Amino acid sequence: MTLLLGASTVGLILALLALGVYLSFRIFNFPDITADGSITLGAAVTASLLILNWPPALATLAGFFAGVLAGTVTGLLNAKFRINGLLSGILVMTALYSINLHVMGKSNLPLLEETTLVTQSESVFGMLFGPGDVGVFGWEVNQRDAAALCLAAAMVAGVGMILYLFFRTEFGTAMRAAGDNPQMIRALGGSVDFILIFGLAVSNGLIALSGSLLAQYQGFADVQMGIGMVVWGLASVIIGEALVGSKSTGIVITGAIMGSLLFRLIVAIALRWGLDPNDLKLITAVFVFLALVVPGALAGLRSRAGRAR
Amino acid sequence: MLEVSGIGKTFHAGTPNEVFALRDVSFNLLEGSFLIIIGTNGSGKSTLLNAVAGTFPLDRGTVSLSGHDMTKWPEHRRAKLIGRVFQNPYSGTAPNMTIAENLAMAARRGLHRGLAWAIPRTLRSELRDRVRTLNMGLEDRLDNDIGTLSGGQRQALTLLMASWLKPDLLLLDEHTAALDPKSADQVIRLTHEIIKRDKLTTLMVTHSMQQAVRLGDRLIMMHRGSILHDIQGAEKARARPEDLLQRFEDVRRREQLDAPVAEMLRNTYV
Ligand SMILES: Nc1ncnc2c1ncn2[C@@H]1O[C@H](COP(=O)(O)OP(=O)(O)OP(=O)(O)O)[C@@H](O)[C@H]1O
Ligand SMILES: [Mg+2]
Repeated sequence: MTLLLGASTVGLILALLALGVYLSFRIFNFPDITADGSITLGAAVTASLLILNWPPALATLAGFFAGVLAGTVTGLLNAKFRINGLLSGILVMTALYSINLHVMGKSNLPLLEETTLVTQSESVFGMLFGPGDVGVFGWEVNQRDAAALCLAAAMVAGVGMILYLFFRTEFGTAMRAAGDNPQMIRALGGSVDFILIFGLAVSNGLIALSGSLLAQYQGFADVQMGIGMVVWGLASVIIGEALVGSKSTGIVITGAIMGSLLFRLIVAIALRWGLDPNDLKLITAVFVFLALVVPGALAGLRSRAGRAR
Repeated sequence: MLEVSGIGKTFHAGTPNEVFALRDVSFNLLEGSFLIIIGTNGSGKSTLLNAVAGTFPLDRGTVSLSGHDMTKWPEHRRAKLIGRVFQNPYSGTAPNMTIAENLAMAARRGLHRGLAWAIPRTLRSELRDRVRTLNMGLEDRLDNDIGTLSGGQRQALTLLMASWLKPDLLLLDEHTAALDPKSADQVIRLTHEIIKRDKLTTLMVTHSMQQAVRLGDRLIMMHRGSILHDIQGAEKARARPEDLLQRFEDVRRREQLDAPVAEMLRNTYV
């Protein structure tokens, strides 16, 4: 149970990553690799500030804005300097590796003694339900685990809701249109450059927020923690799309969250059954490859079979 | 008033693929005037419209509209004054968004887009009313993705979008060329109605000589990036399709006469 609870919590935290990836990859069709750097950036900034005894909420917010800044730079490189999108992301991601090391001062920052959002929600839990384990559907659950899960769920629900509402505003609608048909939104007076920069800023802000929460949950920030995270986020989005099978924004947002949760649970179970953790990224990459290729290949097979008949 | 003076555009300048798409084009268009542009393929008609819309920076010349010198304005800023319908029915609308969302964006062409609801209730009923005027039954399908509609329906909606807020200038680039004859007629009728109702200043490119004589109060014929003929007033009203075709024929004949000369020049200088 503890295993599933922990996996769900990480799945929800990484759902914020999935939402960020959804924004760049799906709304803008922009393969933004910055994510690998900005998730670490969020963790690094928040961890460093927590060690300086900043209030956790502020330290988390600062992590978010650090990601916003990173996304803005990627957007500027692409929109203003006309650097290829993939390369813009790679440049910023590479630069962030050094920046993250500078922010942290060393390659790993433990947060054992610090007050974090997780320890704070644990205290709130303690006040609400008294000390000791919490009973959930007859299961005895460690208080820290339960508190962390609730925190992650609340954050994801809040962010998902805001994103959903945002996409129904004038500016949010223009953002979706900029991804769908940039020529049209330009002809209607929208600056595609500005919209893209703003979108990448929000995307990387969410991804950094995910890193910030992850650091607080697992109790450390590590300069390597971002490696392969884009692919992870993409896998979640793809699973989500398969789960909900709809293109309407609200449903897709829910799908991405569910996808992240499900993916993490599957991985946790696979690890439990003896999957070598070192193979995890390889398997994730292969999974995304298959998810990208198989539907097309199936359609091809079907039409070939149709012609043969 | 639209004032185009001395504009020039060369694509791939200084390479073997150099194209003089516009050479020193100038004309003024009075407010409420409806200008038809004809010319052979590659004569620079679309480039002229794109130059006015601000799709690319000009090499030479200036473009001003309603007293604003727009030459240095980016495309999205000019959109405050200009409504556009493209040749490709897929260019003017966002296919994965609903009819209502597309129209709502047009209702804020060139205006600030903030965090207000994209489709407030008051706008919704206006959307329904205006879409009903198209007589296509689309008012009951406002929440369908626009990508599910036919080219003609999309082009009619794009026209509605381009003119939702009265533009100072309407640009139509062969906007019925990709449609079947019936849909094309329908869209042309709608075009005529909207332009007349709102007294829109319009630039319209067409390859249809029928449209060229029936519509508009002035006509220019382009050739190799320049204006070859400029017909207005009574002369435009008198013009018949055969006259226009004759002018195309003249151009073709002259091209053929020119060919040996060009050949000789090439042999001499290259
Ligand atoms: N973006 C571009 N890059 C390079 N060359 C271009 C570009 N746009 C137009 N051209 C060239 O400029 C010339 C004029 O093209 P334009 O599209 O204006 O012709 P047109 O009169 O609209 O022709 P059509 O009737 O076929 O639409 C052509 O030779 C074309 O190849
Ligand atoms: Mg053209």
